[in-house]
Parts: sequence; structure tokens; C-alpha cells
Amino acid sequence: MEMNDDLLRPQSPAPGLVNLFKVEDAFNLARANSLWPLTFGLACCAIEFMAGGAARYDLDRFGFGVARPSPRQADLMIVAGTISRKMVPCIKTLYDQMASPKYVIALGGCATAGGPFKYPGQYGILEGIDKIIPVNVYVPGCPPRPEALIAGILELKKLVIAGKTQGTLSPAVVNDSQDARPADYKNAISRADFRKPPAPPAAAPAPAAS
Amino acid sequence: MSSTLSALQEWLLSSVKPDEFAERDPKTAGVRFEALVPAAQIVAVATRFREAGYFLESETAVDFAECVELVYHFNRWDRAERCCVKVLVAKDGGQPGDGTWRAPSLWPVYKSADWFEREIHEFFGVTFTGHPGLKRLLLPESSTIYPLLKSFKGEPKGSDVEQSLKLIGEDAAGFDLNRKQSLTCKDRDFYLNLGPQHPSTHGVLRVLLHLTGERVIDAEPIIGYSHRHQEKMMEIQTYPACWPNMGRLDYVGAMSYNMAYALLIERAMGVSPSPRVEAIRVLTTELNRISSHLLWMGTYLLDLGGFTPFFYCFDDREKVLDILEMATGERLTYDYFRFGGLDKDIPAEMLPAIRAFLPEFTKHLKDYDKLVRKNVIFRKRVEGLGRLTRDTALSYGVTGPMLRATGVAADLRRTEPYSIYPQLDFDVVTAEGGDAYARYVVRVREMEESVKIVRQLIERIPDGEITLGKLPKNVPKGEYYSAVESARGTFGMYLVSDGTLNPYRIKLRTPSFSNLSSLPALLPGCLISDVVSVLGSTDIVLPEIDR
Repeated sequence: MEMNDDLLRPQSPAPGLVNLFKVEDAFNLARANSLWPLTFGLACCAIEFMAGGAARYDLDRFGFGVARPSPRQADLMIVAGTISRKMVPCIKTLYDQMASPKYVIALGGCATAGGPFKYPGQYGILEGIDKIIPVNVYVPGCPPRPEALIAGILELKKLVIAGKTQGTLSPAVVNDSQDARPADYKNAISRADFRKPPAPPAAAPAPAAS
Repeated sequence: MSSTLSALQEWLLSSVKPDEFAERDPKTAGVRFEALVPAAQIVAVATRFREAGYFLESETAVDFAECVELVYHFNRWDRAERCCVKVLVAKDGGQPGDGTWRAPSLWPVYKSADWFEREIHEFFGVTFTGHPGLKRLLLPESSTIYPLLKSFKGEPKGSDVEQSLKLIGEDAAGFDLNRKQSLTCKDRDFYLNLGPQHPSTHGVLRVLLHLTGERVIDAEPIIGYSHRHQEKMMEIQTYPACWPNMGRLDYVGAMSYNMAYALLIERAMGVSPSPRVEAIRVLTTELNRISSHLLWMGTYLLDLGGFTPFFYCFDDREKVLDILEMATGERLTYDYFRFGGLDKDIPAEMLPAIRAFLPEFTKHLKDYDKLVRKNVIFRKRVEGLGRLTRDTALSYGVTGPMLRATGVAADLRRTEPYSIYPQLDFDVVTAEGGDAYARYVVRVREMEESVKIVRQLIERIPDGEITLGKLPKNVPKGEYYSAVESARGTFGMYLVSDGTLNPYRIKLRTPSFSNLSSLPALLPGCLISDVVSVLGSTDIVLPEIDR
């Protein structure tokens, strides 16, 4: 438990004979050890969140297992999965309903930056939850393993103890080289052309080709 | 060809006089015949199919330069006789969504057409006459795009944030302003939103319940909160690049979806993998079916208020995931299959691990089942609830365990055998009653059958190559359909290939989509506390419904 001892010691500028805790530090210590996540899943990552809460990984070991279905009782939002645009207002509402201080973990590629569903000209998703609500910790993976989720929450715990919980909002449009790829959108072909050969040789492909 | 089908075909040729008609090889194309009928005749054709005992498996559209082609697939429960009927909707200079592209709705014949047609309406801008409520299905109601048309070239960069902020603004102004939501003391009716954030909906589903007191009068599932534009995405990707999509459609039982895609492309290319590959595919698929049903069992009992089964089921599920991880390297979103083969061979330690797991799991499953099934509270919360009749199932195109719980032995592994399933000994599990309890029984017994399959396979995995080497990068021009029995029902893929490196159109016919659309038939009459019980018993995975 060396790591935890280290964590439990608030950062004081000059250790002296008498350490005076700020009240906020004491509160943060309490908050960090009982982060209650909101029960809320969007896609694949939510299953790993569930697995994290189940017997083998057991989030309860760290005091994170008290998943609350109501945002009023939760102080940690784990955005687990792809954020479709239709869902954005709901996530925003849930976040607004949570009482401060509140923390956000972006779990997986989709919540971080759109993940595998990001392509030039996409019409359905929001590329990263940090464009709408501030995020404290990003956990990479598609989906991240439960261990990664636990590591993410422990990272958040450190931040909470240190009082560094100002989340970040990313600028609305990130200059992303991936988006500069030319989009391979097809043009409509004529049905008459498509139907023209009644498929005589098409049934026999030549594996030697290419 | 059965006599029903030949009679149907004869009737079609003599009375309807299709503009185009072609018999196809079901081994490659997946359908018996394709017929292009005049739009005015489609309702008569569908009525005839319905009377002959066919259900509407899928309805979709393909965008061509001069017209939109509507594609209907009809199929049977007792044997695979998929028939493809098409209707052309001429474009004639009209704009999508302005009402000039018209076709008659099949809603009076098949209730499943309701959602299929709303989806076509929102993605292709086709208007269906006679449809009861043509509005957006998967996209936000204020959307103005028709994304699956080829004229749609993507949204400008940064529009995701812009759109999201706009939607947040609309949300603040109030959801569904046009809907009557006021509570009147006189009739004691009111509306209640279940979801989209709700612990028991297994994802982001919103069900709008119309209640009188505690009784449900009507329920309307509202979906699309997890729409990930997979069909459009696959159109702009190469064929191999679509593999990760197959792992993320239904992430709980991803192997079956891998299987469908592999079958589709292999049939189109005319190649078949080695017996070793087939055996490993079936082995992993069945293990995945077990893990999927275990997840369902745990979460369903959690929905009903039992916390302990969740831990037990997840514990066993982790063991299955460990085994699958040995082969695939992934826990959840498998993309393990390749065209004509597999990503890599199974490691040596996998088979001993399965051998050790099976007896232990069989014992556990028996124990869990005994504990659950003999529990009076459980029985009272599921028996007689959410009763599905065969006729409703036919009308809504329900498949999978939900259908088998009504006593119909419809399982594509037997009725339309693929891979090595014909050589394996297993039973198609059915139960009587069609209620939530029957669905529970079917799924638990299906795990036993999967164990039986796995047990047979580990003893006889043949040697052989696990890849066919280099295959062509494109798929021959044509149309193909493949279907498999996933953990949730019939998963079908319809591919229109123009012979280039990426698909021209892919339709994903997902089982939960049709299964969920039957919810308005299951819920009326239930108490509000039973809604979650019925919903959980349908075993839905939302990203697979929303695609």
C-alpha cells in the first residue's frame, strides 16, 4: 500500500512540525475515496464498465462500486461509448443535473475523439465528449479493459486529492490531419448500367487476379 | 423447391407479371428468385406472401442514378426460402423528402414494415403512402439530411459540434412539442419517458409509455440514441476495413456477426475455407453465444432485483472471455474472422482450457437455473408477462429466442444450414407460452446446447490451413444475401456490389431491430413495474438496433 500512503498525503508546500490542512483538502480526500459513478452506458465500453463492477475486477475494492442510477446522487460521470448526436442533449442534461463537484472520465476511443466511427464527413456522432462537457481523465482503448478503467479512476483519484479537478474542454474544431483525407464517397450509378450484363462470367472469380 | 414456393412463383409470373424475373442460386445469392414488380402491385404480393406463411425479413432501398430501388426480402420459419421482390421509385426530378418519391406502404400487411419504412424514409427520402406515422427513426427529428443517398457527400468539418449545440438548444426548448403530454385529471392518462438513460434498458433506449394509473395503454420505443452510421461508413470503406464494424454491431455476441460477413463475401467470391477454419469458427461462435446469454441472464435478473446472479453470471462469463481472448486477443469486440480464414490459429492452450471449463460451467449453470427457476418471486414476475403470439411474431418479423419461446422451431443453423452445423448434433430449443418465462427457459437451454456443440468440436478439430492466401480485393458485381443465427435471432446482410473496392450498399438486417419493434404489442396491459421485466426478456443490444 505504499502508493496509497503517498496519495493520502496532501501536497503541502513546506512540511513542518505542524501541518495545517485546508478544509478543502480534507473534503477532497473524502471525495477521492468514495467516487460514486453514474450508471450510464452508451455502447461497447459500458459492458466493460459492467465487467469492472462485477466479481473479478470489483470496483468496490477502491470505493468506486456504488454506481448510482440517478445523476443527483453521483459525482463521477463515466462516458462509456459512442456519443451519437441524438444523445448529446441527454448527456448534457445528465451532466447539468449532477451536483458539484463532479468529475468526468471519457472511457474509450469514441468518448475521447470519435474512435473508429470517425471519418471525413460523418453525420452521426460527436467526436469526443470534451467538446460539450469538461473531461478530467481520458482512458484509451476500444474498448478499454476493466483494468484500464480502474487505472483511469485511480488517476482521477490522484487529481481529486491534489485539487486539480478543473476538466478540459477541447476547442470546437481540432486541426486534425486525419480529417484532411479525401472522402471516398461514391456517385450513384445508373440502374440500367448495373443490370446490363446478366452476370454470365461474374459467378466465377479468378483468385489469381490482383 | 417446395410446393408453396412454386405455387407462389407461378402466381407471381401469371398474375402480377413482374417486369424482371430471375431465379437465383440460394447458395451464392442467398435468395430463390428476384422479381421486379410494379409499385401498385406490391401490397397484393405481400398479402400473398403473408397468407403463405412468409414474414418480411428485411426491407431496404438502394439508390441509383435514375431511381430508388426498394428491396423486400420474404422468408419462412420452417425452411429457408428467401425471396426477393423489388419495386422501383422513379426520381423524376423530385427532391428527397418532398413527397414526390412515392411507394405504397406494407404496414397494413406487416407491422414490421413500420420501422423499415421509417428508416427508408429518413435515409432515402422516399414517402410511403398509407404509413401511419412517417417520421425520423434513427436521426434527431430536426435533421434535414438523407445520408444514404449517393448525392450526400458528407457534412462539413466541425458540423458535429454545431449540430450538437443546436440539438441541446432544441432540447432546452422542449422535447416533442407536437405531442400531447399534458396531464388531465379527468382521464388520468399520462406519458412517461423510460430512458434513454436508465439502468435497465441495456443501453440507450427510450420508451414513451402511455399510462393510465399504473397500467400501460400504449408504448412507443424511440431509438437512434446510439446510431453510428455503420451502413454509410461501410460504403466508403474497403471490404477488409469493414471487419471492425462487425465486431461493434452487437458487441455482446460479435462472433455471429463476423460469421455473417465472412459467409457473405466468401459466397460472393465463390471460395470456401478449410474444415479447420470452419470448426474454429463454429467453436468460437458457440462460446460467444454462451457468454452473450450469460450476460443477458445476469443483467435480466439484475433488472428484476436480484443482484447476486449478476456476479455469478459475470464470473462465468469472464472465463469464457479468457478462452476467447486466447484466440482473438480481444475481450469484447471481436474481429477474428477473415475472408476465407481466420486472423490467426488458436493457441495450444486453448483446447485444454475449454476442456477444464465445460464440466465446471455445466454444473454452475444447473445450479443457477435451479436457484432462479424455483424462486417464487422470479416466477411471479415473469410468468404470463409480455405474451407474444405466433401471429404477432410473424407480423413483426420476430426471430431468435423470442420466436422459439412461442414454440416455433425456427433456427437458421438448422433451417438454412451454414458452415459445419449440419454435421453437429444439437437440438433447436423451443418453449411454449411466448411469455418472458418461456424466453428465459429457451436461453438457458440454448446455453446447454451450445455446450453440447463445443464439446463435440473440441474432440475433432481437423488440421488444415487457416487462410486461403491472397484473395482479390474487390467483390464481383452483383447482389448477395447471407444470414446467420446470432444470439438474438436472424442477422442478415444484403450487399450490392458494383465490382469496385468498396460496397455500393450494405444493409444490416439486425434481429433486435425487429424484435424490439414488437414491444408495442407486448407491453399494453402490463403494470409499469413489469415494463422492465418484459423489456429485459427481449434481450436487446441497442447499437445493433441503431447500427
